[in-house]
Amino acid sequence: MSTCAHSWSMTDVQNGYLVVEGCYHCGARSSFFSLEPTVPIDEYREGPHFWEHLAGYQAVRFNLRCDHCGETVDLHDMMGLMLSTCDDQDCPVGRLNRELGKKTSIYVALCADSSHASGHCVTDAGVKALEQYFNQRLRTGRRKIAVVPCSMCDRIDRCQGIVLADTGLTEFY
Amino acid sequence: MKISEVVEKTGLEALNEWEDADIAGVYISDMVSDIITGASGCGLLLTLQTHKSLIAAANLVDVEVVVFAHDKRPADDVLQLADKAGIALFTTPDHTWKYAVKLFELGLR
Repeated sequence: MSTCAHSWSMTDVQNGYLVVEGCYHCGARSSFFSLEPTVPIDEYREGPHFWEHLAGYQAVRFNLRCDHCGETVDLHDMMGLMLSTCDDQDCPVGRLNRELGKKTSIYVALCADSSHASGHCVTDAGVKALEQYFNQRLRTGRRKIAVVPCSMCDRIDRCQGIVLADTGLTEFY
Repeated sequence: MKISEVVEKTGLEALNEWEDADIAGVYISDMVSDIITGASGCGLLLTLQTHKSLIAAANLVDVEVVVFAHDKRPADDVLQLADKAGIALFTTPDHTWKYAVKLFELGLR
């Protein structure tokens, strides 16, 4: 285990598109980051799924690198962040929101597969590094940032929050 | 530089309650993804966007003040979110470049 008191910086910053697709057979949702010059909108078959384009947002992805020890945390499994406004007592994120109070904002790190059928979500190391990164940049003690994986949400598809996305900017093609 | 000095010298109209604080610098952007990667620690964000995503991004990177150019005004739910986050919202009739020049002439970088 590292003993370094990490000081994170963004690295490998890439501009592209967050593409959201849905399977019109089973209703599954999937998202991925695209570096194509325009938003890919093709329909295609993949195993049991028939993916069709639902939405595309201009987006950025990045990794975090420690300025002290050089450790890099890969965040390519994170598709976006959502400021949670959930206060549902039946949802762990809602309970955490109540517990932490007004001063702390909870951001949910969103992975590609909201169903979590694969058992994967944003890694613990990624969530921890993100939380450290954003809190290290707060200049005053007025606010705090907490980051949680979307697998912590009771039902992420119905979770209340504000997704940090540049909506509407790709609708002119 | 204090928020109050910027307000007074550039003629900003306050859209919610605010407390005076130091402004470290300025960032200009209309994209949430750009704000997340570039606005960290800027203090004052100058933008045309008035939606909730912008406040959620500003909160994440410790923006103290958002100034909406061209007399843009956010909806009530955006104001409420900014209040909760402790972010001061102002509007200016100036377009983005004109207001940016005012900030530059005040010494903000």
